[in-house]
Formats: sequence, structure tokens, C-alpha cells
Amino acid sequence: MIERFGDASGTSAVGGVEGHAPRSLARLVVPVLGVGVVLSLVPLWLGDSRVMMGIAVVGLTFAAYAIGFNLIFGSTGQLFLCVGALAGIGGYGGAILADVVGLPIVVSVAAATAAASLVGGILSWVAVHRSLGVIFTGIVTLVFALTFENLLLGLGGLTGGESGFFLEAGRDTFLRRQIPPYYLMLGLVLAALVVHGQLRRSRVGWAFRALRDDEVAAELAGVDVARHRILAAVVGSAILGLAGALYAFTEGRISPTTFGFAEVDVVVLVMLAFGGIGSLLGPILGAATFTVIDELLVEVGQLRVFLYGALVIALFLGIPRGVIPTVTDHLRRRRGR
Amino acid sequence: MIASILDGIVFGLQLGLLATGLSLMYGLGGILNLAYGQMAVVSAVVTVFAIDAGLPVPVAAVVGLATGALVGLVLDLTVLRPVYAQRGEARVLLSLLVSLGVALMIDGFLNWRYPLKGLSIRIAGGPVEILGEPMLRGSLVASGITIVAMGALLAFFRFTTLGRAVRSVIEDEQGARLVGIDPRKMLRLILVLSGAIAGLVAITRSMVTPVDVTAGFGITVFALIVTVVGGLGSVAGALAAGIVLGVVNAIAATKIGTFMSLVILLVVAAGTILVRPAGLLGVEE
Repeated sequence: MIERFGDASGTSAVGGVEGHAPRSLARLVVPVLGVGVVLSLVPLWLGDSRVMMGIAVVGLTFAAYAIGFNLIFGSTGQLFLCVGALAGIGGYGGAILADVVGLPIVVSVAAATAAASLVGGILSWVAVHRSLGVIFTGIVTLVFALTFENLLLGLGGLTGGESGFFLEAGRDTFLRRQIPPYYLMLGLVLAALVVHGQLRRSRVGWAFRALRDDEVAAELAGVDVARHRILAAVVGSAILGLAGALYAFTEGRISPTTFGFAEVDVVVLVMLAFGGIGSLLGPILGAATFTVIDELLVEVGQLRVFLYGALVIALFLGIPRGVIPTVTDHLRRRRGR
Repeated sequence: MIASILDGIVFGLQLGLLATGLSLMYGLGGILNLAYGQMAVVSAVVTVFAIDAGLPVPVAAVVGLATGALVGLVLDLTVLRPVYAQRGEARVLLSLLVSLGVALMIDGFLNWRYPLKGLSIRIAGGPVEILGEPMLRGSLVASGITIVAMGALLAFFRFTTLGRAVRSVIEDEQGARLVGIDPRKMLRLILVLSGAIAGLVAITRSMVTPVDVTAGFGITVFALIVTVVGGLGSVAGALAAGIVLGVVNAIAATKIGTFMSLVILLVVAAGTILVRPAGLLGVEE
């Protein structure tokens, strides 16, 4: 049964297929451990350069964003175009709670993460109960993202407006040192992978695949579609919020563009489309690839945006399911023959 | 207050016309075109070049307009072809993602090659007094052109065979096919038409305030808000919503600032989707 789900190829035009379902624990532990070992070696290589470590931390943050978005869009087909805004609730929420309200950092991060999770859950609840479908969910969440961005700019007294928010809290701690933020973010990415992986292995993952493939059939088979969608949004948004909050405390400065639609959502979408929407490691492959590409292309400036655009088109029209599912399917088919 | 209402009407007319293009693409073809604002920007940039090359402004504007139409045609003939192969929601989703790619390409290219280009058309002559308020002559010319274009558009859809054919496809694609109307051709017509509309709005807008190469995304957002409120696929709804939102925007902008006025528009759009997904004047699916 599980095998059949894995092999059902592309019912929807974009992404669509929740990849192969690894039931056994080894198929979750091995890849996550592999990613963990490889990525934990990066500071040995780049650890001397503050700039490079900064870039690596951003890369990991985007990997976490991509995992959160993958859980929401890849697993349950909810087009959340507010990844940056949900991360921004974590980032700005944490910063304001710590600096303005004066709460301890851990409490601030936890509360801000909970807030992002709650907002994500509410958006999903609304989308499910108003039966908005993919497109209207996309429009509503995009509208939410733009509202959030403009609120940040409009409430300049609290948020620092366009020039950004400079965080006092955590300034003289390990959070602002060169190497520790990297491992903090890596820990988050691995934890997020484990959460997503465990969900996929469980009954919940089975329900996710069923409702992605055919919502009506899933409902008829007894899957509570609404509950599973909201669950995915709550968990995914918590990952986004936590990533945003941790990034804010390690970076020390956040601005509306840190969490902007063009700067976060578009990039995360490209990363995920490249890695493979719905696949467990797609977000890692996508984030790693684009962090490197971004660095290589830094000299061409704005032309980079042009290349991104061309890539988006090529990806969605060429390999709409992304690199990992396409490659693994190909390998599996070859092995099968 | 009267001044902001008048400014709001000027902006609102343009918003209404702008949204018409987006609305038609969605209503007719299930194409959610996120590169719509960039179509407008391309028209503006080409108009600048035409003016720089020494063409008289009206001729340059026509060249810009034609460019917008051409961009629509090119999209229809290239990246949208695979999109048309999809049906229903999958088509809308793919069109959204692909047009986002197009938007990035155009934005990236223009910001890289011509970062400082912006179109600003100056209409000679001093301000004209309307209801006791001085109005820029450019605003009046822009509004005049916009109203004429709207009238032409409405007349086209109401009185010409071709326009009726387009509307028949929006209302009932299967039925239209049965009476010999090819939806693909109608769709191409709409893409060309909406490219020209985007261009026209960019050009008339530049008579009021400069349109620069970074304006694309903002234009798309405004068009999307108005389209959502007016109803996806409804021309009259887009026009009405444009004027209402333009006035709301202008009043809010002077009272509480530009960012918060945009927040109000966005909240109105979100509220409309939740209360009445088909839009205030939209056609229920």
C-alpha cells in the first residue's frame, strides 16, 4: 500500500507527490544523521571567516524555513505565501518581548514561536473552513504577508521601521559569537527534519499523502482533512517562527526585508521547487545549493534575480517535482528493471 | 479632504482599469499573472527610450503601449503554453509560479541594466481648479484617457461580436466551444489586451507620479487587491472597486500614512475573500 503511494507519480502539476514513505526508523535516522555530520563539519572549513559563517547561518535559517514551508505546502497542499511573515512574527515578536518588554530570551523565543504557530494555525483554520482552495489560500496568505510587512513599516516607533530593529538582548552572549549560532541553527534544522520525518512515518503522514493525492477520496476513507491541514500549519509555522526568532537573536539586527515576501518567500519557493516539494531532504538540498549559488553570483548583482526567475520557470515547467524525487524515482525504476 | 478625494478618484480610475486586465486573464483563462506589474514597467521603460530617441511623447506612448501588448503576446506564445495544458486549479497554480519567474526575470534585468530609468511625463500648463482645489493638469489628462479607455473596453465587450465572444468564454467555456469560438484565441487576445492595458496605466500614471523600474511588484499587488475586491473575472466589478479603493487609499494615506493605508486596503481584500470569495460584484462559480 505504502509502496503504491510512493510510486503514484504526479497527480498535480506542481510538486504534488509526497515522496516515498520511509516507514522504518533507519530510513529517517540515516539521512538526518548524514546531513548532521556533513553540515557540522562546515565550521572546520569556513570557521575562520566571520562573513562566511554569517552566510552559513543564513543558509541554515533558510533550510529551516524550507522545511516548515515543505510541511505546510508539500505535505498538505496549503500554499502559504507568508513564510517570511510567520518567521517575522518569531523574529520581531522575540525581539520586542526581550528588548521592549524585558522578558528573558528563552521565554521571548518560546512566546514568539507560539505566536507564529497560532497565527499559522488560524490562517489554516480559516482557509479550511472557508474552503478556500490552493489559489485563494495563496492570495489570502500573500495579503497577510504584505499586511505584516506594511505594519512593520507603519509601526516604526515599535519596530524601528525601515532602518530595522537592533537587538540589545543577547549581545554579550554566545548568540553573537562566530561559531555557536551555526550549531544552534543546525540543531534547529535537524530537529525540524526529525519532526517532519516522524510525522511522515506515522499515521499522520499516511493521512497527509492521502489528502494530497485526492482530498475527496481521503475524506471518504475517514481522514479528517481539516484537522490534518491545521496540524501541518501549526507545526510548520512553529518551525518558521522559531527559525525567525533564533535568527533575530544571533544576527542582532532585523528589518522588514529580513522577512520580506521577495526576500524570503520567493527564495524558499525556489529552494523547495529545486530540492523537491514534499521530499524530506529537498529543503536541505535546495537551501545548500542556493546558498552556494547566491555566493557565487554575488558579483553579478541584480542579474542574479534575472537568473532566479529563469530558473523558477525552468524548474516548474521542466522538473516540477524537484531534483530529489526525480532522481530517486529514476534510480528506483532502473533498479526495478 | 476634497483634494484627497479627487486624487483618490484619479488613482482609483487607474486602479480600476489596471485590475480589469488581471481580472480578464483570470476569469477567461485561469491565469493568475504575477508579472502583470512588470508588463506595465516594461511599457514605461520602452516609452522612456522612445522619448529619449526623440519621438514625440504621444508617439512614444503608443510605442510603449504596443510593447505591453507584445509582452502579453510573447508570454502567451512561450511560457504560458505548458500552463494551458493544465486544467482548473493546477493551471492557476502553475500560472502563478511561472509568472512569478517572469516577474523576477524582468525585474532583475531592468534593475541590472537600467536601475535608474523611470518614466515621468510632464503635461504642460498650470494646475486647473476643480471644486475649488488646484489639480495637476497631468491628473486630468490621465483621468480623461483612462475614462475613454474604460468606455472603449466596456463598449468592446458589450457591442462587438469579438467582445461578446470573449465574454461567452468567461461565462461558459464549453458552450462557447460548441458555437465555434476557440477559447485559446480569445485567451491570446486577452493577454495582448491586458498587456496594452498595463502599458496604458503605466503611461497615464507617469503623468501624475514617476513610474520607475522597481514599481512592478507594487503595481501587481494593487491590481490583485482591486481584482479580489471587485471579483475575479468581472470587468464592471474591477472598475467599481478601483474607484472605491482609490478614494479610501487617498484619504487614509493623508490621515494615517501610506503604509497604514495599504494595510487597510489589504485587510479589505482579505475580508472580501473570506466573506464573499467571488468578490463584491463577481460571478459565483
